[in-house]
Amino acid sequence: MSQAEFDFAVFGSTPLAHLLAGLLAGAHGRTVVHIGESAAGYRLPRGIDLSVAPVTRPDTWSILTDTLPETLKLISQIAGRGGWGRVDPIYFADDEAAREALSHIGHMAAGFGLAIEPTAPSLLGGGRNGITIRDAIRLNRPLLEPALDRWLTRSGVTRSTPDAVTIQADGRTELQSGETALVARQAILADDESIARWLPLRQWPKLLHRQHSASVLTTPTRSLASPLMVELDSGVTLLQQPEGGIAAFGQGRLASFSAHVQALLGHDRQVEQAGQTTFTALHTSDGGPAVGRVDGTGADVVAGMGSFGAFIVPALARWLAGKASTEENAWFGARLANRSGTAGPASEFAAPLEGVAS
Amino acid sequence: MRPQINRLPDTAPKGFAGGAIDRSRPLRFRLDGRIISGFAGDTVLSAALASGIDTLGTHEGRPIGLTLRANPAIIHASLANDPQRALPMARTPALDGAELITLGARRSGPIARLFRPGRTLGLPLDLSHCLDRPWRSMTGRPEEHRDLVVVGGGVAGLSAALAGARAGLSVLLIEAQTELGGMSGLFGTQDGEDSPEDSMARLAADVRASDAITVWPGSRVFALRRGLLRVHRVETVNGAIHGRVIDVPANHIVLATGSLERLPIFAGNRLPGVTGSLEAFELARNFGVWPGQSCVVATSSNPAYRLAMLAADAGVAVGRIMDTRPQAASRFIEFSRAYGIIQSPGTVPVLASMSRSGPALSVKTDRADAPPLPADRLIVCGGWQPDLTLWHVAGGKSHWRADRHRIEALGPCDGLVLAGSAAGYLTRRGCIQSGADAIDQVLGRSRRPVEDTTIDPIYESPDAPASLGTEMDEATQAYLDGGTGLLQRPAPARTKLAWPTRRRPVTHPAISEAPQPLAICDVAAGVDLGLIPPEAAGVVAQERVTMVPLGATDSAPDHATPMPTPTDTQVPAYLAGRFGPDARVVRLTLKEARAIEPGALIYRSSDASHPIRAIGVVLRQRGHATFALVSARALSTGLPVSIRERGQVLSARLEAV
Repeated sequence: MSQAEFDFAVFGSTPLAHLLAGLLAGAHGRTVVHIGESAAGYRLPRGIDLSVAPVTRPDTWSILTDTLPETLKLISQIAGRGGWGRVDPIYFADDEAAREALSHIGHMAAGFGLAIEPTAPSLLGGGRNGITIRDAIRLNRPLLEPALDRWLTRSGVTRSTPDAVTIQADGRTELQSGETALVARQAILADDESIARWLPLRQWPKLLHRQHSASVLTTPTRSLASPLMVELDSGVTLLQQPEGGIAAFGQGRLASFSAHVQALLGHDRQVEQAGQTTFTALHTSDGGPAVGRVDGTGADVVAGMGSFGAFIVPALARWLAGKASTEENAWFGARLANRSGTAGPASEFAAPLEGVAS
Repeated sequence: MRPQINRLPDTAPKGFAGGAIDRSRPLRFRLDGRIISGFAGDTVLSAALASGIDTLGTHEGRPIGLTLRANPAIIHASLANDPQRALPMARTPALDGAELITLGARRSGPIARLFRPGRTLGLPLDLSHCLDRPWRSMTGRPEEHRDLVVVGGGVAGLSAALAGARAGLSVLLIEAQTELGGMSGLFGTQDGEDSPEDSMARLAADVRASDAITVWPGSRVFALRRGLLRVHRVETVNGAIHGRVIDVPANHIVLATGSLERLPIFAGNRLPGVTGSLEAFELARNFGVWPGQSCVVATSSNPAYRLAMLAADAGVAVGRIMDTRPQAASRFIEFSRAYGIIQSPGTVPVLASMSRSGPALSVKTDRADAPPLPADRLIVCGGWQPDLTLWHVAGGKSHWRADRHRIEALGPCDGLVLAGSAAGYLTRRGCIQSGADAIDQVLGRSRRPVEDTTIDPIYESPDAPASLGTEMDEATQAYLDGGTGLLQRPAPARTKLAWPTRRRPVTHPAISEAPQPLAICDVAAGVDLGLIPPEAAGVVAQERVTMVPLGATDSAPDHATPMPTPTDTQVPAYLAGRFGPDARVVRLTLKEARAIEPGALIYRSSDASHPIRAIGVVLRQRGHATFALVSARALSTGLPVSIRERGQVLSARLEAV
């Protein structure tokens, strides 16, 4: 039985996880094993990667805008121009609390130089408020993922599909794949699926909550007000594809989620479900991101990043490699996974969690 | 009136004269203004095909064949404004004097119709909804409860229905075709079996004779969950055809939905004249329909050889049989050799194209030295995929069986049992026994082994994977399946510049980007093409099945929980700690009375504008009062502050609340 030892074992199939593994290896000289299959080519979407987000914290906007050019350059090097595209997402809200949050988000984004426009109520219906953020960057996962796989290989990242994973209390992890065992000094669980699957229950932080979530694809229908729309009240994301089908994902069980999506689209639209799936998403009690070692000593987790996580990966990699700037250290330090989860400097607006007292 | 140019003579042997039609009762009806002739027992589709209409419409400028799996909904002309009363072309009996139109087709006047090619229905298939089934959006009328519903009237379904009746259950048997018996006839006989026709006729007669079994022919289940099925039923009432959507509650459900024929993937595989072997058999056996005088066959499975022999018996010139397998063995191969049919083992079609003269099609193979094969018809068979569509709709799991090159069911599904070839059985004996076994399963009785012994592979080669033609011709794209999805094989990256005016095929770099539901054969083709990893095939097939919310979920509540309205001075959690631990809620007093938007940032002076330097933020406007959250220091200084809102800078004073 052979055994190799790595600095990091990065788990996750999202672009964030891939980028993190590649940067730790390529830019920071660490030995990295990556565990995670690219699935955007054939599975329904469970998330997106967007350079803007419904964020109210100025330090988050600050790190996001600072890191964006670096991330974009990296993505372009990895996948060329096809790896990303521009989109004008619309964020909209119905309840008063969500409308207030929307207004805060709009002012904050405008404060950081983004072009924000109020969305005509006639485009949203139901007396909703909305804002359009111009020229956001969205990663094109189906095109990007194969390129990321090749880039990881070039960056010297070892790929593993383990049969069994053991994560110890100090974060050390052992991957068993047939007769081969790989050991990494530190596990980084970089997406919801890997956290839910691999993080030992005894290390589970109080901050993180599993939530029933669903993803639905509709048959083609007439154009939405924007190809990308996010309802703040529920967290539902509507994504219209080039041929008119709408992919929607967010919190909720399939039946109720499906009914809510139909309500959002309007009952006059003749659409059928062309696909549907359920999955478990992780949300934090306070709506903010969660990073770092659970319980202060265990595996590193990256959770609650929403849509913008992939765009701050260069900063995250520096932080994990001990090379972060003061500002980056402060940002990640305020969002440690072992925080209490009560309202604090990391809190963000979030849809109510099922089974969690607000 | 269109003559029935594609009808075999009534003297056609081996059942190819059309068992479902009564040639002594001719009829006529209008379809989109054209007079179509047929016989009693025809469906609208079979009569149209018999009359030479073989084209559904155009997709990206290329003709697509009209088939049993790809056909439009039709509607009585008098009901044209009520699409929910549309009917399925393949399940609607042809009635004398009916006036029908196809849904989704562009309406054209009599003059325009004169210039439309006679063989096409003219559907603009680039429009996404032109093959919709409008009844799928209807809620069902409740029907009486049944102990057992069997879906599928092939030998397995018939056997299950009979076993259920013998067990004292009230049984409803639902079959999409107008006739019971299924398609066992194509697969011939193994040692020790009676003929498939005898077997099917005996089981069907027993079912009809049973008082405990109700049969719904011409009916299709399109939604399903434990204990409930939604069915679209086509009925003839008082000489008129009606469609109804019915919800059938049931204690037990057996799915005997059979197998679907895979479409080999090559450029031009959906052209008019390219037909699956099962469809060709079904049209000939039921309706005596066989377009053209000549055909070539491309297969990776043995039954296509049997079809070739039956066609030859009916007077069709079978030019050649191509087989992807280089050294296939089968009793059918031996027999067809005796018929003098030329065989080309290890050969696959790479391109089918429409001929300008002579036979309708020209088929190019992967043999570089071989000239294209002319034929009126190209019969194709890419192997057999258990039809697990309803199984997936109900939440059943499946996986890729690499040894059989197909997706098969995995594990149990609550309230649902599979039988026959849908359950993976390969022989007629196995399918019949599996019907009875399904009843043992649903009743929790001890099960008996199902005999599904296949002939030794030395003598009867198993199916090979569906062929994948390598030639990519932009003018004749390759489709993954023969159904209504029209999902194309992703095109390789372009290396040449194209004319900007030339329309390019819509292909998806990834199968996840396709907006249409994926039929199970699309997913199987995706595995063969390397678009879907084999280990993910089951989950993708389940994830991308088209689903209609049913029963309890019809009235599922909107899941968004309303949020409580914030009080005047409430500080939302997302502002906690933003302006220090001692931040205070204040009232803003502006020089001019006006409302300020929540989120507008407050600065110490008008020079500052970076959000990091903000000392407060507007919380909300209530009546004439504007509430804000500011740092404790900002309030203590007593100095005026600047508010930035949409490019404007406003001065305000802070007042403690």
